[in-house]
Amino acid sequence: MGRPISEPLSDIIARHWDAIVIGTGIGGGVAGRALAEAGLSVLFLEQGCAGLRAEETGLDIGMADPVARAVRGLWPDPVEAEVNGQSQSFFAPLGSGLGGSSVFYAATLERPEPHDLDDSPERSHPTGGWPVSYAAMLPWLDAATGLFALHGEPDPLSDIPCPELLSPPPPQPGDAMIMARLAANGLNPYRLHTALRYLDGCAECLGHKCPRACKMDGRSAGVEPALATGNAALLTDCTVTRLDRDGPVIAQVTARKGGEEVTLKARHVVLAAGALSSPRLLLASTSEADPTGIGNARDLVGRNLMFHLNEVFALWPGRAAGFAGPSKSVGFRDLYFAENQRLGMVQAMGVDVGYGEIVHHLRGQVERSWLRHIPGAMDATRIPAAIGAKVMGQAKVFVGLLEDLPYGENRVTYDPANPGRIAMIYRTAPELLARRKTFRHLIRRAFRGQRTAFLTHRPEPNFGHPCGTLAMGHDPTKSVLDASCRPHGITNLWVTDASVFPTSMGVNPSLTIAANALRVAAILTEEA
Amino acid sequence: MNALTDGCAIVTGAGSGLGRALSLALAPHMQVAGLGRRMDALEETEALAGGNFLPLQADVTDTAQVAQTFDTARNIAPITVLINNAAIYPRRDFLDETAASFMDTVGINLGGMVTSTRAALSDMTATGFGRILNVATFADLHPLPASSAYAVSKGAARIFTRALIADIGDRFPGIVVNDWMPGMLATDMGIADGLDPAVAARWGAKLALWHDASLTGTIWEMGSEIPPARSLKRRIADRVLMRPRARPRQL
Repeated sequence: MGRPISEPLSDIIARHWDAIVIGTGIGGGVAGRALAEAGLSVLFLEQGCAGLRAEETGLDIGMADPVARAVRGLWPDPVEAEVNGQSQSFFAPLGSGLGGSSVFYAATLERPEPHDLDDSPERSHPTGGWPVSYAAMLPWLDAATGLFALHGEPDPLSDIPCPELLSPPPPQPGDAMIMARLAANGLNPYRLHTALRYLDGCAECLGHKCPRACKMDGRSAGVEPALATGNAALLTDCTVTRLDRDGPVIAQVTARKGGEEVTLKARHVVLAAGALSSPRLLLASTSEADPTGIGNARDLVGRNLMFHLNEVFALWPGRAAGFAGPSKSVGFRDLYFAENQRLGMVQAMGVDVGYGEIVHHLRGQVERSWLRHIPGAMDATRIPAAIGAKVMGQAKVFVGLLEDLPYGENRVTYDPANPGRIAMIYRTAPELLARRKTFRHLIRRAFRGQRTAFLTHRPEPNFGHPCGTLAMGHDPTKSVLDASCRPHGITNLWVTDASVFPTSMGVNPSLTIAANALRVAAILTEEA
Repeated sequence: MNALTDGCAIVTGAGSGLGRALSLALAPHMQVAGLGRRMDALEETEALAGGNFLPLQADVTDTAQVAQTFDTARNIAPITVLINNAAIYPRRDFLDETAASFMDTVGINLGGMVTSTRAALSDMTATGFGRILNVATFADLHPLPASSAYAVSKGAARIFTRALIADIGDRFPGIVVNDWMPGMLATDMGIADGLDPAVAARWGAKLALWHDASLTGTIWEMGSEIPPARSLKRRIADRVLMRPRARPRQL
């Protein structure tokens, strides 16, 4: 394992880098690795801490102290969101440390469908299509599949080969059981594409940091191999505050490191602070030439914010099957595009619900009914829940990821008085709610004859899947970035996180972030 | 690192009483480094152990000495086990204490534990693997007369265990930390008709070599786990729901 270049801070600051990469999540880590492996000198800037490699910290959204959160690599502060007109302040499932959010993720790297990117007569694309076609993205999806050591099975409904996909280890009893159950319902389940190397003693660190380079994420598949080339260096606890533009180039990067302001220089700047933060940096970079921020002449920076809606439901496979253990890695795409609508894929969540979750579910039902006025009704839910848990055994929990579409009103906002704060305005579009209804109806129908229960009742945006806030496109009046993910008219600023997505797709964003980062890094390398 | 016994165990206060007994109980299983203020006492422990015991003279209130001795120990093998045992129990009425004498006791009973734990964690957080056993007492629950500094410092030490778990428990589930009350012992610090420290040390050594994440935060008295107190409401709910009662584990 390579060590960070042990240059003194003053040398790192004085050096003129080939590329500065802002952010060390999947987008930054992968792009920086590709650049370093191509022989470019790369400096990673990470706002959070490096952390200790042996940590197994989970994504705790209950912990509130900002210092405790920062030490764990969690985004330290609550997110301020106006959701459907209501102001909310909450801890989002976001990382802020080496590897970003990806060190906590469940490592599900699913490839998109052609219609996620392409416009076609059969499946028209709401934006007219991504500026990069599926065919052009495919080699990069394959390359990312290899880079992240993805293990899984090809989707039986797709005829597009996955040459780099590795065979998964034999399924756990829980997985095998749920696959059989789904198949019996006429669905086409497969083993999800999981970024685990399954090293000896692999504990499948899904949802928490992996103490080894076994789970592949922005750190283990990005920054660490980059540092191992000897061409890269890393500054942690380093918050980029602004970029300065000189004509078509970004001339310098200003950051705070250890309470001091530092100015850094590079031939290229790769921005990958995440879809909630990358636009804030551009909005913060105001000047006479860019009075509202870099790339923001048409007031598009930060707009078109999208999430997936999570539709979480429990399936009771029956008492006898309930003890086969949790299923972690099963999904299906039968409802991905159905009734001529863009919906999304369904995945097992790797948790079984028992008594506690049933109580929570029943309480939710009581809360929304007239029973809420009856004293003790809430506590009374415990008894049917206990009986239910005994009679029905454990339920398997699934999540359907419903694709969100871009709306200009949904956006990340920036307040110069509070530059570090993530703030957003988001409204669930009527069109999204209509698709949600279809999605839930189809999920219910897919499991006819099985006992199921939705555990989400209101539309629940997945705040861990933000995207779209610096969308790429051919038309400079409708997009922030061009097809090479540079702001229109700027030659050396490249964006490689989920900000660039024109639409949110019906799958987890990670694989496409990694693939696009590789694609952009290749263009950059060619120009450098 | 796959087994605690592949590394080095540190026992503080290893020159006498329970610390010596714990060292002797551990030495057949792994390399032990014993810290103590008196070299002659540590050498007696070494002679009794007949091998696998490294005497390291150090005052646990002296951060530099502790750092140096831990370095010596980790040169043999990474530190995988720490038993925070060193403590003093001066019988003294509070009116006979000075602020300085009171804080001296706190410095050993609490400060020594903090210093040793911090030093051991350098090794343990690098691998994510280790075992910290804190020798504790219930002296804080109903402080006895002439025991103020002891009761306060040992009570604070129990809080330290919980505070340490709050900081590292979720990040390093492989570093197992808990409190152990050895019982009333026939040692200089204990009572004449108390338990033979060698008997208690068999439990302590067994607990210190037991590496199971579910032990973190548990409290043990002699050879038994003390289950956490349940409220009346909890007890009724558990009964109504026919929850099986968790059986306290035994050593």
